[in-house]
Amino acid sequence: MRKRYLLVKAICERPLSLQLFEAALISSVRGLFGDFGLARIDPKIVRFDASSLEAVIACNGERAEDLQAAIGLISDTAQSKMGALTLRVSGTIKGLSRKEHF
Amino acid sequence: MTGFVDLHVIPRVDDKQSCQRMAELLHLAGYSAVALALPTGLLRDRVTSLGRLFEDVGIGTVSRVDLTANSRSDLLKLLRRFRTLYDVVAVKCANQVVASVACRDRRVDLIYFDPANPKVRFGHQLASMLRGAVEFNVISTFLGETRKEIFSRVAKEAAVAREHGSKIVLSSGCWSPVAVRSPLQISAIGASIGLSREQCAQGVREVPLSIIQRNQERRSRLFVEEGVKIVTLKQR
Repeated sequence: MRKRYLLVKAICERPLSLQLFEAALISSVRGLFGDFGLARIDPKIVRFDASSLEAVIACNGERAEDLQAAIGLISDTAQSKMGALTLRVSGTIKGLSRKEHF
Repeated sequence: MTGFVDLHVIPRVDDKQSCQRMAELLHLAGYSAVALALPTGLLRDRVTSLGRLFEDVGIGTVSRVDLTANSRSDLLKLLRRFRTLYDVVAVKCANQVVASVACRDRRVDLIYFDPANPKVRFGHQLASMLRGAVEFNVISTFLGETRKEIFSRVAKEAAVAREHGSKIVLSSGCWSPVAVRSPLQISAIGASIGLSREQCAQGVREVPLSIIQRNQERRSRLFVEEGVKIVTLKQR
């Protein structure tokens, strides 16, 4: 199974931890596609930088578009309102830093 | 003007910081132009300064007006008044009568529906009459607590638009920095409600760009009427 990697920037007024971000991500994917969809998309946070609020998320390559939709519908964490922007999508982590926008 | 366009951005006019942050995020998300939906009574200076906030970070702006009417005559009155003042004219269809007038009128660029309003929906009849484009505000519709009825309704409207090959615009309808999303995400949400990949790609780029370009051409002083424009100006 080929993976895709997404570079995501969280937009949040308060400091954000990896646990909160992961919980918001999983809840959004589950809300939109259900448990079965969550298993098929199989999102995993590979890297998370709490200072720049950027994360690299790996997922099943065939379901990358579904993951993007779910990330787009993240609206809050347990503590505050939050949004998330997909900045880049690539087949490798290295590609995320190399690529220009889209 | 090229690249991605969000035709429905609703900045908080009284909060400069929020507007500034929105502009930065829209630029980071990859947009090259946005349509700002501002209150119709806003002073021209405020409109200019807001536009400059976006243009300073590298985003082109056009003006947009959202018209809401309860009857045919009200809508026609509003169109007569506002068409020449704005680059993009959108009509929020409150009922079936207004929706059918908005679909047929060539002054209307976009129609959109409130998914919570059960009185009207985008059906086959409206799709066959549509001269402009139908807009899906995917972020403002789906963000937060959404019911399955809203998803199902929007998916039905998307299926109708897909069947008739209607022009589709995918916008965010964002009102704060937290609601800003990238065109990739908007397009992905469009695909998840049942639109084709091609419609989604065109809905964030080609269709909005063509609306802006057509209206800017119409508002230029060289434009006479549909199909007629001044090609050269004589020197006096």
